[in-house]
Amino acid sequence: FLHLRGHKTLRKHCTEKYHNITTWTSKLCLFFPISTQTCHTELHAGQYYTLPPAHMRTLFPHGLPPRFQMQMKTFNEACVMVRQPALELITCLRKADYSEPALRYVLYGEKGCGKTLSLCHVLHFCSTQGWLVLHIPDAHLWVKNCRELLPSSSRPGRFDQPIQALNWLKNFKTTNEHFLSKIKTTQRYVWTKRESTEEGRPLGELVDQGVSRVKSSSDVVGALLRELRLQAGGAAEGAFRLAVAVDGVNALWGKTTLKKEDKSEVLPEELTLIHNLRKMLRNDWCGGAILTTLSQTGSLFKPRSAYLPMELLGEEGFDNMDPFVPIPVSNYSDKEFESCYLYYLDRNWLQHPHSRTEDGKKELIFLSSRNPSILERLCAFL
Amino acid sequence: MAASTFCPALLPLLRINCKFNGVYTRISLNRRAAYSLGLTASNGVERQGLPERGNQGQRRQRRAVEPRTERMTVDQDWTAVYPTAASFKPNSVPLPVRMGYPVKRGVPPAKKGNLELIKIPNFLHLTPEAIKKHCEALKPFCTEWPAALDSDAKCEEHFPIQVESKAYVSAGPSLRNPNARIITLTVKLSSLNLDEHARKKLIRLSGERYNKDTDTLTITTDSCPMKQQNYDYAMYLLTVLYHESWKTEAWEKEKTRADMEEYVWEDSPSQKNILETLLRMRPLGEKEEEGEVREELLGRVEVQEYKDSVTKLKNEGETETNMQQYKEAVKKLLNI
Repeated sequence: FLHLRGHKTLRKHCTEKYHNITTWTSKLCLFFPISTQTCHTELHAGQYYTLPPAHMRTLFPHGLPPRFQMQMKTFNEACVMVRQPALELITCLRKADYSEPALRYVLYGEKGCGKTLSLCHVLHFCSTQGWLVLHIPDAHLWVKNCRELLPSSSRPGRFDQPIQALNWLKNFKTTNEHFLSKIKTTQRYVWTKRESTEEGRPLGELVDQGVSRVKSSSDVVGALLRELRLQAGGAAEGAFRLAVAVDGVNALWGKTTLKKEDKSEVLPEELTLIHNLRKMLRNDWCGGAILTTLSQTGSLFKPRSAYLPMELLGEEGFDNMDPFVPIPVSNYSDKEFESCYLYYLDRNWLQHPHSRTEDGKKELIFLSSRNPSILERLCAFL
Repeated sequence: MAASTFCPALLPLLRINCKFNGVYTRISLNRRAAYSLGLTASNGVERQGLPERGNQGQRRQRRAVEPRTERMTVDQDWTAVYPTAASFKPNSVPLPVRMGYPVKRGVPPAKKGNLELIKIPNFLHLTPEAIKKHCEALKPFCTEWPAALDSDAKCEEHFPIQVESKAYVSAGPSLRNPNARIITLTVKLSSLNLDEHARKKLIRLSGERYNKDTDTLTITTDSCPMKQQNYDYAMYLLTVLYHESWKTEAWEKEKTRADMEEYVWEDSPSQKNILETLLRMRPLGEKEEEGEVREELLGRVEVQEYKDSVTKLKNEGETETNMQQYKEAVKKLLNI
């Protein structure tokens, strides 16, 4: 779709000189979201690009980091920096062969480097390419702080989490509204004695079933994942590509803080949601990609300094995810820092007069050591 | 004289540190005030030491002489100054040593009267010259070093087992020292005839006594009362370890993956995963057998590289370089 924007879309920064030279390209341009995405190459590294607000509401009801959401509200726009890890991932996705099993990508890096935001960037790319996006915003939320833990109705020994499943289904519906009517179920699912979903019904009905009947929502999630897995990348006309994005994938193989009634610990595989998600992450289906990030922030029983894949995933997690492509995300490079600094200056976010000087910039570099989240928090004070 | 005129004017509790002719004196004026008029000194300087009980008369203290250090030459024989272990004597050591905590923006206190320097052990009696003299004195009691053993490697080759023991000489009520019974036996495992299984078993049996970095086994024995007995015991332990490690027990067959010392890629989940992935990518033809295809897939260069990178990751731990290598291997394997 066309979206006329009467304002600049890409900023150009002079790459040779790092002084405050910003030339706006303010021109009336037709904003093709698809073409903007496909023309992201190495040349665009370090530049900001704006995500259209309509996309933001549908695509990311639950995916963005909270501080970024606050920034979005303040600046009234969602500007994401094009960075090298995201570019690498996008090139891999473009070149990959989708008749082969799904490839797994793991974004890892130190705390606050931009893993979640890179993932969101790549998901935006996927959605503009017409993929179905299955985004689990934070797998850690499913292994801790769960008020209601019901024993599963379908399988003994498993536990359901109705509230989490319900929230996720609602957000999934918002994201992939247009797919839900096209995809049909391949099997009959029986929920209770009186309720069942027949074969050939649209997926939308399945999701509505989960939203309305909270008790069976976890099983609905399992059925949904199964359907998508079977039908992704098929040769049929309604073929679609599936992007499974899990943030904080190390939660699936870690420990939980949930307890059963007899105070014994719940293992992750005893949770229905986790069990189904693990099945999704195996590469026995084709026609899509699995994009994951590791996150120490919400993780349980892992030290603060752990960021490498094997440390966070553990033995079991590594063996399950193997073979995967690890993509490191690091702190800002010089150029990226420049870009971020100029963006904040341009938005008048840096109010303190000293921050606009060269010395102030050097201070910011020193204090934040070019870590994106620390820089953002520092600049919030200025 | 100055003191005598000042006395009445000064407060009774005042103490002055004065320096006259390079000698530090403390003139306490509180109790001596009454006696100051009666005191005379040879060159007009009042000299008073600490008040002695019942002594009211003039008591000439010994004149403080200059320390011995003033008269020491640079090339003197130090072994004569400190022939044996002795406590630190500030007037015998010509070094401007300071030791102690600097209080309130000061400096560490000087050596004169410094208890800290006296408390600590010093090695002033063990300078290289002193050691040389000790060696010269011991030489008549030693035999000659064999001329053929002129390098460490040769010593290691001909005498792989090294036994250390200490002898103690001291004058006291008893000549014996119980610490003399301790024996330390060191041997490098590379000089022993061991195969893979025996080596791993020996390392497991010796536990803490094995040093991985230097590949040495150290056995320390002190359970017997005599040195000879401890030596025999240490040799016995070595023999037993060696022979036991060559034997294979029946229950050793039950060694699981979790017991393995290092990561082995064959039959690991990683190998299974990669084979499954590759098989899915290239489905089996009709005439091909699974075993053959498996062998062929495992023989590919990319798979070997992948195997190396995973083994390295698991055995050596994760680093950025290892991760990069793994990433390259996976990319090549999956045709990205």
